[in-house]
Amino acid sequence: MRDINPGRFVGTSVKRVEDPRLLTGNGSYIADVEVPNMVHAAFARSPYPHAEIKGIDATRARTLAGVHAVITGEEMQKLTNPFVPLGMTDGLYTPLFWPLAIDRVRMVGDPVAIVIADSRYIAEDAIELIEVDYEPIDTVATMTEARSPNSEPIWPKADGNVLMDSTREYGNTAAVFAQADHVFRETFHSHRHSNQPMETRGCVAELKADELVFHSASQNSHGFRWVLAMATGKRPVLESLKTIVTERRDRLKAFAAGAKAFADKNKDELAKNDNAGAIYQMKKDPSTAKYLGRIVLNTFALGNDRIPRVVADDIGGAFGVKGHVGREDAAVIAAALKLGRSVKWIEDRNEHLMIGGQAREESMTIEVAANSDGEILGFKVDMTMDQGAYPAAPVGASIFTGMIRAMMPGTYRLKAFEFTSRIVTTNKAKYVAYRGPWATETWVRERMLDVVARELGMSAAEIRLRNMYGTDELPTRMVTGPTLDVRMSARTTLERAIDAADLPAFREQQEAARAEGRILGVGIATFHEAAPGPPDYFDAVQPGSATVMGTEPARTLLEADGTVSVFTSQMPHGQSHETTYAQVAADQLGLPMDQVNVVFGDSSKTEFSMLGTGGSRGGPMGGGATQFAARDLREKILDEAADMLEANRDDLEITDGDIHVAGVPAISRSFADVATTVREKHGAAGTLEGLVSYDGGPGGWVQATHVCFVEIDLDTGFVKIPRYVVVEDCGEMINPAVVEGQIRGGVAQGVGAVLYEKSTYDADANFQAGTFMDYLIPTSMEIPDIEIIHVETPSDIEANWRGVGEGGMIGAPAAITNAIEDALAHRGVRITEQHLPPTRILELAGVIPEA
Amino acid sequence: MTIISAEAGDSLPVALTVNGESVSAEVEIRRTLSDFLREELGLTGTHLGCEHGVCGACTVEVNGTTARSCLMLAVQAEGAVITTIEGLSNSDGSLSPLQQAFADAHGFQCAFCAPGFLMSAKCLLERNPEPTREEIREELSGNLCRCTGYHSIIESVEVAVRVGAVTAPESVKMFSRESDDETEETNDA
Repeated sequence: MRDINPGRFVGTSVKRVEDPRLLTGNGSYIADVEVPNMVHAAFARSPYPHAEIKGIDATRARTLAGVHAVITGEEMQKLTNPFVPLGMTDGLYTPLFWPLAIDRVRMVGDPVAIVIADSRYIAEDAIELIEVDYEPIDTVATMTEARSPNSEPIWPKADGNVLMDSTREYGNTAAVFAQADHVFRETFHSHRHSNQPMETRGCVAELKADELVFHSASQNSHGFRWVLAMATGKRPVLESLKTIVTERRDRLKAFAAGAKAFADKNKDELAKNDNAGAIYQMKKDPSTAKYLGRIVLNTFALGNDRIPRVVADDIGGAFGVKGHVGREDAAVIAAALKLGRSVKWIEDRNEHLMIGGQAREESMTIEVAANSDGEILGFKVDMTMDQGAYPAAPVGASIFTGMIRAMMPGTYRLKAFEFTSRIVTTNKAKYVAYRGPWATETWVRERMLDVVARELGMSAAEIRLRNMYGTDELPTRMVTGPTLDVRMSARTTLERAIDAADLPAFREQQEAARAEGRILGVGIATFHEAAPGPPDYFDAVQPGSATVMGTEPARTLLEADGTVSVFTSQMPHGQSHETTYAQVAADQLGLPMDQVNVVFGDSSKTEFSMLGTGGSRGGPMGGGATQFAARDLREKILDEAADMLEANRDDLEITDGDIHVAGVPAISRSFADVATTVREKHGAAGTLEGLVSYDGGPGGWVQATHVCFVEIDLDTGFVKIPRYVVVEDCGEMINPAVVEGQIRGGVAQGVGAVLYEKSTYDADANFQAGTFMDYLIPTSMEIPDIEIIHVETPSDIEANWRGVGEGGMIGAPAAITNAIEDALAHRGVRITEQHLPPTRILELAGVIPEA
Repeated sequence: MTIISAEAGDSLPVALTVNGESVSAEVEIRRTLSDFLREELGLTGTHLGCEHGVCGACTVEVNGTTARSCLMLAVQAEGAVITTIEGLSNSDGSLSPLQQAFADAHGFQCAFCAPGFLMSAKCLLERNPEPTREEIREELSGNLCRCTGYHSIIESVEVAVRVGAVTAPESVKMFSRESDDETEETNDA
């Protein structure tokens, strides 16, 4: 391959393809979607955290002019199937739940009825007229309450409110802890906060003559398609069976063939799964099997007019929350099918803050076995995670416990590790994925390392350098299993960060400042991140999960006009896929970037994938797949052009879309000429395409060290960040400006998490942060300038692009809280909680008494 | 001041100028300016992020200064001169110099907040064509962005300042800052 023009676009901060559309107000976000014959939905929601529904009277609401329907939970139950767990973990019970609450509400904001009206205004008027008779019952507001055997059970089939409690041990922790000079123990609390993209959730269920189109702000078109087909495809079982026998023979055959191909391809992965999770779930709740059976039958029998074609267009941010299917999504489809009209629902900010999805509520007790010289021998960790009332669909909090466990050791040498995961249910909103959903492992580990260092009289830098794998020790494996290959560069980022921070100079400044009454601090945090991780990472999280998470497809297509389309199952929502994938494909094909069009979001056009955007897969897997699918197409185009030019294929090169013999540019063929010739040969549908699935290649880690400097004002409790440095290694960069934007945006969310944001509930689980006056998103005044130092470890991997979507948010809470403790250490302060607003700083520093 | 008592469904006629064009309509009194712009005029570039006046995504220019169109009723815009993001582009639809500065500096990511930021930046630069970085930071703090950490947005405005992307037009001088202050004082009194 002599003429690929490597790096013509890749590696440069090409301007965004998206911007001419988005900067002129011509984007098409979900609230902008208008379809014919459309009516509007709004939800009546519970004001109580926990109550029995004794009755609902919607008579007055139904008679209001402009109202088309009010559907209560009981009525909705007849139109839908429950959400059943699709990912089942051994020892985990996942409650089944319905789109609307039926006889009991379990959180403030629980939807009890959907109103359909001519406008959102009228729908909200009608909500005021619905009378619900609630009988409040005892609430479960905290993890401690949930663990008490006396707490009111939220789910009748669970034993109390603990849904999972399981321990894994790696190595012999008892022996390792027995031989250690010291065991240090501390408990850390990470508070509930949330993604809060500037655009809330929303959808339009469009009924066309022969098609159900579900427009959605969704990170994951195919996942939504099938989960919603399952939730809304309710039919009598007998009827489904008849339909399958009479009309769906072809589908059945196709499915059987697909299932066999899948099983053959993933034989090894599937063999790892022992079905223990499914067995446990079915034992706890036998109706799981009943519903699952019905749902599968129903889904098989559904006509194409009932399996939603999911279409996502521009999305105003998500950070994980829009990867989960909403109960509202199912209710909107069911309402549209019942009414025979298209229905639109746009969540408002109060709803999004209240029930859109919240994250990160975890408590961890960590014990560290260490020797007096600073050598760390092992960790014992006991984690409780508060999943809220309803599990997120299709997979809830359990998948994140596996990630936290797998990543907890970081890149430190541990001889043994024990991890207990406990999931509890409370009367709060559902726990969702939020940018680096496993990040509590980094926060607790890096926080605890500082605690241990202080106890042993070492510096934060010393204890990390003492225990972190050096490049000369690679490859090796984490104690939890995943391979740390020779490219793993966490230590390099740490060393570079220590240099950049000039710690000796800072300590002098800190002392001098203290003499003037000014309080300064510095914090360091180092982590590595599966972005997407080596293949054995998925085994460490949940054996067999690589079948779903392990690869990403891309398809390339030569269009009739000579342009090339790249079809991706990734769903851009700010990450600039339209630009970066066009860079990658254009370089491979020798085309100008404007001749490449990236197609996404429409489940009828993109390749099947259960995940969509998430897990920092966009660069490594999606970018890699795009590169190889484009290369595949290039080969086919050159084969065709060689015939046309009567030339030796190996003598051809492509310059700006002109295909010609090297050195003879005058005689050339264009991509459009090739497309025409292919159609002449093979008919109107004749075309050339490439299709590749890619696992991201070996390595798979991103590594970074964050250094945060703070100055604390003990009159106000306000924490200023005068300097923030990120040293990161994400391999080579497709578009450095995009990479830096992702990193800075992640750090900003970390700043928000520590200093401003909290999804507050009172002692009775009443939600208290329902506006942006209560839930504080940092502004341009609060976010510091963030310096970025890139380490690009050289590599022989062809698509050595590692994901950067999540890392900023993973490192920042640890670096910031470490800096705050460093600043206040002389007052004997130890930071064990992640949320540190001004009043809490003043309390911890002893300026004001604890509330 | 006239006090009007209104029920759901009651409407009033309203006449205003939007992006240089005269608009007259009969509008439900409770209808927000943002919903009027988006749903009745089809100007969906103005976005709704919170509908309670904090996030600034719905920012439009009303009589030369920024306004949160989610907190204003359409009927309050009687006689007003309004510019939305759709009125910011060049007449052929291409990027204006201010928009170009944001493209050059990779200003946004998901860009849901972009229309509000661009309108705030336009009004800022019309009043103060050469703001410092700290002034930009402060002036744009009424708009929330969840993607960027603001760095690229502030840099975009700095680029716009360097290339002189926005100059104060006559119409803006009419509604200068002093006259705003006077209005506020009158309202307080």
